[in-house]
Amino acid sequence: MSKESQMRAAINQKLIEMGERERLKELLRAKLIECGWRDQLKALCKEVIKEKGIENVTVEDLVAGVTPKGRALVPDSVKKELLQRIRAFLAQHST
Amino acid sequence: MKMEDVSLSSMDNSKMEGFAQEILSDLVEDACLGLCFEVHRAVKQGYFFLDDTDQESMKDFEIVDQPGVDIFGQVYNQWKNKECVCPNCSRSIAASRFAPHLEKCLGMGRNSSRIANRRIASGNNTNKSESDQEDNDDVNDNDWSYGAEKKAKKRKSDKNPNSPRRSKSMKHKNGRLNRRDEPEKISTSKKAESQNTPLITTGQW
Repeated sequence: MSKESQMRAAINQKLIEMGERERLKELLRAKLIECGWRDQLKALCKEVIKEKGIENVTVEDLVAGVTPKGRALVPDSVKKELLQRIRAFLAQHST
Repeated sequence: MKMEDVSLSSMDNSKMEGFAQEILSDLVEDACLGLCFEVHRAVKQGYFFLDDTDQESMKDFEIVDQPGVDIFGQVYNQWKNKECVCPNCSRSIAASRFAPHLEKCLGMGRNSSRIANRRIASGNNTNKSESDQEDNDDVNDNDWSYGAEKKAKKRKSDKNPNSPRRSKSMKHKNGRLNRRDEPEKISTSKKAESQNTPLITTGQW
């Protein structure tokens, strides 16, 4: 299995070095804003803040309260498109 | 066995898919974290709740969709029929004509000086003291002497603006078009001489 993890590490490195990871990040960000995901999550954050109080809320509170729902709320179309691009990259640079 | 050249293509598809999902998952988590950091900073710096208002105030500023009224609820043609009193001549003028009237009445603005000059050039007496000022301004602007202006205006009005020769004259004069207004007489060319007579004869060209 170590060969596989080596392979993964190599590809991850390539992703970063070629700037593809940044581009994917930007693409994801734009898509999520477009589809309203960001606003949904902001509303969730508001609830966490109201619960904990403005003075005491920490980053960990927000992350723990919001991230699991955030993952679930990503629309399928966005996931599909991102996966397509990732697969294309893997296919291109897999050797 | 040589296993150094294991390429990803030898990894089966499910593993590839799993890897892609993992990358996606990382990216989504990055996005979530980024949002959390932004929100946290906004909360601590105090600008997170700035655009929140209660429902009642929100209702005050809703978009209005009635006829005869703009989206803020104001009537937009109520000033059409109002009349204003001119501070100069104390006349009552309709609102939509007020600005042009003021221009002429106060003697300011582009048109009023032109009108005043025209009146002077054709020898009318005007009562407005501002027109003299306008005249001098005009003179200073164009570096003419007062007499030349008169001459130039006369020459201009004598030429028939509808004759086809007008375009021809521009062609042949080239740079001389600007100098038409100078009072000095240049006798070197026929064209200059012809300009001093009121009529331009056809034989020149």
